[in-house]
Amino acid sequence: QVFDEEGKDVTPHPLFHSDPNTVVPRQGKLLASSAYFGATGSVFLSSFSMHQPSGANASLGSFSRTYGSSSTSISNASTTESILDEIVEPGSRGDTTVSLSDVQVRQEEIKEELTKADLDRRVDLYLTETETVWILDMPSVVVSVESEDAGRVLERNRIYVDICTNRPGNDRFVEKMMQTINGAAKNKEVQCDKIIMEDKGMMVTSWDLYDLFHISEIEPTSKAEGSRTTTGKSSKSHTTKEHDRTMSVSSDRGSPTSSTMILESAVLARIHEEEECHSEAVLTSENFQQDLFFMERILMENIFQPKLAAYRQFPVLTDPDVTSDTSGTVTAMKEAKQEKHDKEKKDKEEQKEAFIDPSILSGLNKTPEEIVPPRLERLWSYVCDLTNGHSVSSMVWSKVNPDLLAVGYGAFDFKEQKKGLACCWSLKNPMWPERIFQCEHGVTALDFSMASPNLLAVGMYNGSVAIYDVRSCNDAALLDSSESSNKHTGPVWQLRWVEQDRGATGDGKKERLICISADGRITEWLIQKRLDCTDLIKIKRTESEKKKLPGEKERKSEALISQQAAGMCFDFHPKDTNFYLAGTEEGHIHQCSCSCNEQFLKTYRGHKGPVYKVAWNPFSTDMFLSCSADWSIILWHQDSQTPILTFSSATAFVHDIMWSPKSAFIFAAANESRVEIWDLSVSTLNPVISLFANPRVKFTSVLFAKNTDCLLVGDSKGEVSVFELQNLAAPNSNK
Amino acid sequence: GIPIRTTLDNSTTVQYAGLLHQLIMKARSTVRDIDPQNDLTFLRIRSKKHEIMVAPDKEYLLIVIQNPCE
Repeated sequence: QVFDEEGKDVTPHPLFHSDPNTVVPRQGKLLASSAYFGATGSVFLSSFSMHQPSGANASLGSFSRTYGSSSTSISNASTTESILDEIVEPGSRGDTTVSLSDVQVRQEEIKEELTKADLDRRVDLYLTETETVWILDMPSVVVSVESEDAGRVLERNRIYVDICTNRPGNDRFVEKMMQTINGAAKNKEVQCDKIIMEDKGMMVTSWDLYDLFHISEIEPTSKAEGSRTTTGKSSKSHTTKEHDRTMSVSSDRGSPTSSTMILESAVLARIHEEEECHSEAVLTSENFQQDLFFMERILMENIFQPKLAAYRQFPVLTDPDVTSDTSGTVTAMKEAKQEKHDKEKKDKEEQKEAFIDPSILSGLNKTPEEIVPPRLERLWSYVCDLTNGHSVSSMVWSKVNPDLLAVGYGAFDFKEQKKGLACCWSLKNPMWPERIFQCEHGVTALDFSMASPNLLAVGMYNGSVAIYDVRSCNDAALLDSSESSNKHTGPVWQLRWVEQDRGATGDGKKERLICISADGRITEWLIQKRLDCTDLIKIKRTESEKKKLPGEKERKSEALISQQAAGMCFDFHPKDTNFYLAGTEEGHIHQCSCSCNEQFLKTYRGHKGPVYKVAWNPFSTDMFLSCSADWSIILWHQDSQTPILTFSSATAFVHDIMWSPKSAFIFAAANESRVEIWDLSVSTLNPVISLFANPRVKFTSVLFAKNTDCLLVGDSKGEVSVFELQNLAAPNSNK
Repeated sequence: GIPIRTTLDNSTTVQYAGLLHQLIMKARSTVRDIDPQNDLTFLRIRSKKHEIMVAPDKEYLLIVIQNPCE
C-alpha cells in the first residue's frame, strides 16, 4: 500500500475486483498479497496494522465503489477463477465469515470441473459493462469561446502574452546556462569465435521430395532408435538412398527436430552398427531370393531364347556380332506371329514381360520353295539331376497357365519301385523345376484341377491319391488318401478332374476327381477333410465272345482270381460328361455311364493286350482311339463294336497316344523306341513323322501343347523333350 | 560398394561394383524423376562381348555378367 504525504491511501488498486459478497478477505494471507502488490512484507504488515480499521473500511468501500456493477458469473469463466484465487488470498481482511466464503469459493472450484454434460450444456454468458476506468486523461488545451471558462482562459492568455512581451529586458527574467555532464566514454573490445561459413550445393530431385514426405507418413516410428548420431558422419559411402537423403537434409535444414531427421540419422546409425552382419542379412533376405529368382529367369531366357522363340513361333533373335551362323536350324519360312504375352502366373508375381520386341531380327533365310517333309525338331528338354533315373509316367498342362507343366515320375519296371517325384516345370526355366514334390511311391498319374487351378492330384503306384497345392513350395501333400478305408489297392493308372453338369441338383458344373486303378474300380474322390472316395463302377471281368459257351454261366467257365478286371485308362466324352470309356487290362474297352454303375453300356473288343490309353477325338466326337500293348492303335466309332481302323507300325508297346488339339486327323503315339505322328488325312498306313529315340531310352508319354505346335515327349530316363512340329499339313475342318 | 560374394577375381569385382553403382544411381534417379512413384527394378546392358544384368535393391546390388552362348 502506498500513502502520500497526507496519509491518504493512494495504493494502486487492481482493475478487477471480485464480488464483495463472495470474496471475503482473509487476514492470514497478507504475505501473499504483499507479493501481489509489490511491497515488502514487513512494511506492509506494519502499515496495515496501523490502518486496519480505516483500511478495512476504505478498502471495502473502495471495493464496493469500484466494481459496483461488475458481476461476473463465476461459473463460466475459468480465467476469472484464477484471478479470483489470487485475490481471495491477498484480499485478506479480518472477518469471521472468512472460512465460509473461502470454502464457498473452493466448493465452487470443485464444482467447476467440467463434465462432459457440462460441455454440451447451454451456457449463458452475461456481458456487462464495467465502470469506465480512466487510464489516461489528457484534457484538451483548446476551449470553446462559448464555454463558461472562456473568460478566464482568455484572461490568462492575455496575462501570458503580457509576460512574454515584458520578458526581454526585465529584471525578473534571468538567463542562465547549464552544462550537462558527459560521462567518460570507454572502449571495450570483445572477441568471439570465428564464424565458419560453409557452402554446400545440392541437387534436389522430385523423387527426393516425394520420398521425404512419404517416409515420414509410412514409417514414423518403425526405425526410430534412441541414439541420434551426428549428421556429420559420412565417411563410408553407401548404396542406400537414405544416406543420400540424410546428407541433403543436413545441409538444407538446420534444426534437427523433425521426425524425418531422426529417422534418417537413426537409420544411418543402424547401418553403421550393422555393417558386419549385413552381408548375412542380405544374402538370406527375401528380396535377395526374389532377385536371384528373376535373374535366373532372365539368364534362362537369354540362353534359350532361340528355342523359346521357336516355341512361341516368334522370329528368332540372333546377335549379329556373335554368330555368323544365323538361324541355321530354320530351313523353311516361318510366319512371325507377333503376339505380346502378358505372363501372369497364378502362383507367382512376375515383373517382366517375356520376349520384348526384338530390335534385331534375324535374317529370315528365304530358301527357295521346296517341299520339305514334315519333321520334329527338338527344341529343348526338361531335365535336371533330380529327375535322372526316373521314368516319366505322365504329363499334364496346367489348365490356367499354358506354360506350366506338371510331370510325374515313377519307375518304369514293376520290379524296381522307388520313390516317385512330381515336378512342376515352367517354360521360363528349363533347367530346374519350379516345384518339386517328393512322393513315397512312384507317380503314375497326374492332373491339374480346373476349378481350383492350384490343386494337383497325383496318383501313385500303391493306389493312394494325394492332392498338392502348387502355390506353396511345401513338399507335403494337402490331402492324402492313405487313411481312407476305401482306397485303391492297385496302382492308380489314370486320374482326372472332370467337370460334370449336375442338372438334377441344380448345382451347375461341379468338378470331381475320378481315378481308375488296377483293382478294377473307378472311383470318385470327394475332397473334404480327409480324402475319401466312392465307387463309380466296378469293372467286372467279361468273357471274350469266343469262349462263351452256350448254356453256361460265365463265371463258372473259368477259374477267376478276381472278379474284377484291372482298369488301365479312361476318358470322358468331351461333349457329354455322363459317358466315359474305360480300358482294361484284358483288352476290352467298356462304355459306361455315370448314372448306371452296375453294367456297361457297351463293350468294344479288339485289343489283345492291355489297353493303355483311350482318347476321344476332340473334334469328331464319335470316334475314339485306343492303344495297347499288342503293338496296335485302333480307331473306333462309338456305335460299332468292331474297329474301324487299326494302325500298327512297330513291334513295340504303344504306351501313349494323344489327339492333336488342332486337327481332327493328327495324333501322336509313343511306341517304345520312337514317337510317331500320324496324319489320317495323309496316310493311314504309315505315320507321317517318326522319330527315333536313343537306344537305351524308351518313350513313355506324349503331350501336345495347346497354344503352339509343339509336342512334349517323356521318356524312361526322366527327360521331357520338347519338339516342334514343322511342316505338318494345315488342319482341315472337321470331317 | 563392398562386394559380399563373388565368383570373379577381386579387382574385377570391385571395378564392376563401383562403376555399376554409379550407373544404377543415375538410372534410378532418371526413372524416379519422371514419376516419383516408380522405381528401378532391373537394368540390362548388352554389349558386344557380354550382357550385364543388374538387379538393384535398397541394400545391395546383384550383378550378373553373361556371355552370350549363341
